[in-house]
Order: sequence, then C-alpha cells, then structure tokens
Amino acid sequence: MDRYLGIKNIDQADSRTLKIVWTDDVESLFDVVELRRMCPCASCVDEWTKQRTINPSAIQDSVRPISVDSVGQYALQINYNDNHKTGIYTYKYLRELSLSAQNPNKQ
Amino acid sequence: MKFFERSQSKAKAKNASVANIACTEDTVKSALSNVIDPDLQRDIVSLGFITDIKIDGPKVEVTVELTTPACPVKDLLKKQCEEQIISIPGIKEALVHMSSRTRGAEVKPANIQKSLGGVKNIIAVASGKGGVGKSTTAVNLAFSLAQSGSKVGILDADVYGPSLIQMTKVGNPEETTNGMNVPPTIDNIKMISIAMFNDKSKATILRGPMAAQIIKQFLSQVYWGDLDYLIIDYPPGTGDIQLTISQLAPVTAAVIVTTPQEVALADVRKAISMFDTLKVPVLGVIETMSYFICDSCETKHNLYGNGGAEKISDQFGVPVLAHIPIEPKLAECSDKGTPIVNHEKNNSAAIAYQKAGGECARFLSMLHLKSSEALTQFSLQWR
Ligand SMILES: Nc1ncnc2c1ncn2[C@@H]1O[C@H](COP(=O)(O)OP(=O)(O)OP(=O)(O)O)[C@@H](O)[C@H]1O
Ligand SMILES: [Mg+2]
Ligand SMILES: [Zn+2]
Repeated sequence: MDRYLGIKNIDQADSRTLKIVWTDDVESLFDVVELRRMCPCASCVDEWTKQRTINPSAIQDSVRPISVDSVGQYALQINYNDNHKTGIYTYKYLRELSLSAQNPNKQ
Repeated sequence: MKFFERSQSKAKAKNASVANIACTEDTVKSALSNVIDPDLQRDIVSLGFITDIKIDGPKVEVTVELTTPACPVKDLLKKQCEEQIISIPGIKEALVHMSSRTRGAEVKPANIQKSLGGVKNIIAVASGKGGVGKSTTAVNLAFSLAQSGSKVGILDADVYGPSLIQMTKVGNPEETTNGMNVPPTIDNIKMISIAMFNDKSKATILRGPMAAQIIKQFLSQVYWGDLDYLIIDYPPGTGDIQLTISQLAPVTAAVIVTTPQEVALADVRKAISMFDTLKVPVLGVIETMSYFICDSCETKHNLYGNGGAEKISDQFGVPVLAHIPIEPKLAECSDKGTPIVNHEKNNSAAIAYQKAGGECARFLSMLHLKSSEALTQFSLQWR
C-alpha cells in the first residue's frame, strides 16, 4: 500500500537534487526547483478546483530549500529561500511526482 | 505466477538429481515464500509468519501466524499456502493452520504498566467536532474487531458526553483489593466509561483540572489485562483535554471520524495536525453519514456531496478507511444498547463498519512493519 510507505533515508544528492529512499527500497530523485513549482499548498493550488494559481515560470531557477522537515508520518515540509514554506508534500504526492518524472509519456 | 513456476522447477530439479529426496523444512519454506502478504507486500516466510512445519511422508502441516486475527485476507493466504505445499513433488496433503499474534508496542511507562501493560494497540477514535458519529464508530469498531477474534476493550473518555453505558447497557466495574478496577464486559469486550468514575447524580460537565484528574485515575487504575486493541472514544475537538489523554495514554494510532460536509473538513485538518504534533500516526479517516441507500431504488444517494474524506486523503496522504451510510437504525441500536455490527450483520452500515475494523487492523500491522524501518522524524538542512 503506497499510503503506508515511509522514508528510509533522505539526503541532498547535489546542489539542487533531493534524494529519497523509500521503505520499499525505491529511490527517487527530485529537482528542488521543480518541487517548488509543483508546490501543493493552498496559496499555489486552488483547493477545490485543483487549478494551479501561480505561474510556474514565475519561480526562479535559483530557488533552493533552507530545510526539509518531516510532518507526522506521511509528509514533509520544505522551507524555501524565497520565503515560501507552506508546502506540505505528502509521501503519496512525492511518489506520484517521481513516477510521472520516470514515465513522461504517462504524464 | 512467474515466481511460482521458478520454485516449482527448482524443486523438480532437486528431485531429479537425487532420487526420492525427502521433502525438508527448507523445501516447504521455499514453496511458501511464493505467498505474498498483499498488504505488507512481502513474502510470508521472510515476514516470519511460519511458526511450525511438520512433515510426515506425503503430508505437510504448517502453522501461519498472522499479525492480526482480523486479517481480511486470511482465507486467501490459507488457500495459497495449501496450493504451494501441494505443488511440492511427492506431497499429497497440506494442512494449514492459521493463527495470529497481534504485534504492538510492548513497553509502557511505569505509572500505567499495571493498567495498560498488556495492551498491544491503543486506537484513538477522534473527531474535529461533536455529533459526527464518533461514539457509534468507536463501539462498532470494537465489536467488529472482537468478532474476528481479537481481544478488545473500549475506553469512553468523552468528558463532554460519555455515551458508552447508554449505547451498550454495560454494568459497573468491580474494585479489587489493590484499588484497581476490573472493567465489566459485554460479549467479552471490556468497557470503561468516564461516567463510571463520576458521580452520576451530579450531571455536571467535567472541566479542566478536574477532568484531567479523572482521566489520570481511570487510565492508571483500570486493570485491562491482555488486549489486542483498546479503542478510546475521545472527546470531540482538539483542546487541552484531548492533549491530556494523548499524553497519559500511549496511543498507537488515531482514527479520525468525520461527515462529508465541507465545513467539517477544516476540523478534520485540526485533528490530524494535533496528532502530528503528538507524533501519533493517523491510521485514516472514517466518513460517516456518507450516503443514503434509497429503499425504493436501492442506489446510493449523496446528500452532502461527494469526496470530502477523499480530499483529506489527498492532502494528508492518509487513507479513507470506510464510508458509513446514513442508517436510521443506528440511532435505534444505540438507544437499545445493541451495536449494529452485532445485531444486524447484513445491514449496510454493519458491513461498512466490519470493513472499517478490518482496515484498521490491516493498517496497524503495516504501521508496525513500516515503523521498524522508516525514519519517524527528520530535519535536513540544505547546503
Ligand atoms: N451513519 C449514521 N446514520 C444515521 N445516524 C447516525 C449515524 N452515525 C451516528 N448516527 C446518529 O447520530 C447521532 C450522533 O452519533 P454519535 O453519538 O455516535 O456521535 P458523536 O460524534 O459521538 O457525538 P458526541 O460529540 O455527542 O459525542 C446519534 O444519534 C447516532 O445514533
Ligand atoms: Mg460521543
Ligand atoms: Zn505553495
């Protein structure tokens, strides 16, 4: 059950890549700039229509996290250096993002 | 299927090279390692579920110990084990015994060791607001877990409106010589309500330090004995009282009860955040009064719009454990003290609650497995 996945290990792979090893031993790499553009918080996405309310291109390539912290047993919160720290990324969402990155054809 | 074929050919190859080689424990284990627990997604041998193997000529007898007697896939696993054993060359008969040992946290703080030391899992049934069907859920969850063979207790900690006595017509605790209270039972389910510790003639709402004092007393002075699951009916909301209970009782996981309306969802968020702060994992959300089955057309009607619990699930990554339909008989059952899971087994609400019980047990097993490997807390500073 993907919802009961946990994180075995989390680390910084290079200056803009976050690496997560999941409890099922799958490894995911995330571009932190892309993650900022995909922020799921209520000020970036309309809660009911699910429409993204910010323009991804408005986010600079230079944006970086300050810190990445666990939230409960199911999510992590990224505090970005552009003063944006409301994004709570559920493990479920991160796995979906990493899957879509691996299979760009499947969206 | 691929695995199945591989192991069979392996077994055959062995058989061919050494004529009439006896079937050993290893042969049986290798056959059984093709059976995968669908929830834990791992084979039952490496999960340590096989506790006994007896080989007697063409007959093999094994005992499989699951993580909960409430396992919803018990029969399926049993059948798969039998098939795997029969597929071993030379084996004609497979006897598979299914047993269970509920996994749980064994260590408890000293002050509650006497009281809660034998309790494997403590499940908080909580809600962001009152009147959402929390107590009905707590009671029916308990009965559904007990029906599948688990040892269960219910602790009614709702200081604002304890309802367990009324909902089950349970009697009073017995006090032993050492000052411990032995919970009365209904159908082997041990029950304690905060109302049993309160002077009923004074129908006052318990508040503040008084409530905390009573909660402390009934958490430390009740002899629960061995239990697989202790369900706590929480007071609704996310205030001091809820924090006090969570700090005093070593809660394993929480289940959040809600109705589908949009306004209820904000409260659910608060409840989930509270358990996050307390580092209590949230097992999932149970949505009550979700839909209504029309007598005349037998289809589901959503009165409050669809997918409230699913929105929570998307945002927080916690599963929806069940949708409970609107069932007027639930109120009737609560008044009569006859939980619907026990007395109207084919009722759609009863079936939904049975499913919810199975899901809770299943997710708890997964949680125990996951927590042995997962980071529970991290903070990564970007360089
Ligand atoms: N699925 C349902 N369909 C119809 N009625 C229900 C359902 N679930 C609960 N009820 C009824 O709704 C009322 C409130 O339920 P319950 O007492 O379980 O809620 P609660 O959240 O514990 O409330 P409180 O905050 O007062 O403790 C009761 O009359 C109960 O019988
Ligand atoms: Mg109640
Ligand atoms: Zn955002």
